[in-house]
Amino acid sequence: MADQLLEQVKDVVDGQIDFEGQKLAEILATAVLAIVGGISFLVGFFLQDITLALKIGLGGTALTFLLVVPPWPFFKRHPVKWLPVGGEPAITSGQQNIVIDEKLFTK
Amino acid sequence: MYNSLTRIQNVFGFFTTVAFVVAALIAASDFTAPRTPSATIKTTNVQVVKGRPHYYSTKKEEYAIIRFSLDADLSSLFTWNTKQLFVYVTAEWPVAPAGADNMNQTNKAVIWDAIITSPSSDHLSNLGPASLKKLRKSAAGKTIDPSRGKLSLKNQKPKYQITHPTGRIAETDDVKLHVNYNVQPWVGILTWNQAFDLGRWKKMAGGVSKAFALPALKKKDGEATAKKSR
Repeated sequence: MADQLLEQVKDVVDGQIDFEGQKLAEILATAVLAIVGGISFLVGFFLQDITLALKIGLGGTALTFLLVVPPWPFFKRHPVKWLPVGGEPAITSGQQNIVIDEKLFTK
Repeated sequence: MYNSLTRIQNVFGFFTTVAFVVAALIAASDFTAPRTPSATIKTTNVQVVKGRPHYYSTKKEEYAIIRFSLDADLSSLFTWNTKQLFVYVTAEWPVAPAGADNMNQTNKAVIWDAIITSPSSDHLSNLGPASLKKLRKSAAGKTIDPSRGKLSLKNQKPKYQITHPTGRIAETDDVKLHVNYNVQPWVGILTWNQAFDLGRWKKMAGGVSKAFALPALKKKDGEATAKKSR
């Protein structure tokens, strides 16, 4: 029972997402942080206010953390299709056509 | 990026990179703002008195008290990246006698200085709560306040009485007062007043007083020997 509870806690803390989600997370983090950096400099420069630039920068970074770190559902839209449990291959070896050095081997 | 921890690490890592690049851009943007400082300074009263370095010292030394009037316009030095402006007045005179051993040596001592904060760093100034409130109000909500760079001091008492390592400073010739500044930015390098123009940053216009001589010691029998400056 404790094992199952621990498993649940581990899942929540781990926050695993599928591979497409990871790609999206990386692109999102890079783009949002770069844009926030650019905006904070431009706003600060044209309004001549450095405290505002700092606030925009830190706020945007906090936003990025919120957007990317928790395992949101839109990161899990392409789950990995695992093979069925039990050792049975999804494709039987009798159907495989292996080609080596342009010579076809059929079982 | 497969679990929350690695995502935190990656996002934080890129955040530090972005912060560094933005800071570098801010520091570089300082070069686009022109600097045109100017100042006029003259002495109003010069005395040399005998004194001790501190209360319990047995050594007696001569100290020069140089009162001055200063009008300066350092407002162009205040940009969004300026945290504080440090202004200081130095008295400089050449090492005498002028000869092969003493070429280009100058005696230099600070007689007065002041820290001028930008509104973004008012909370760092060394003031009590009442004066701090007044300072904040004077900025009237502006993010930068170049008018704080305009100085007008009349017959200002010096902060420091200067002497020479030998303890003798009376009757020194060819002393000049120089106005100097040091811009302390939020991000970027420290810069001082320049000897030459650099792009949009011009060297200080004026800023040096006429040469004057330090008088002989004040006599104790009431004889007024302190000469007014030329």
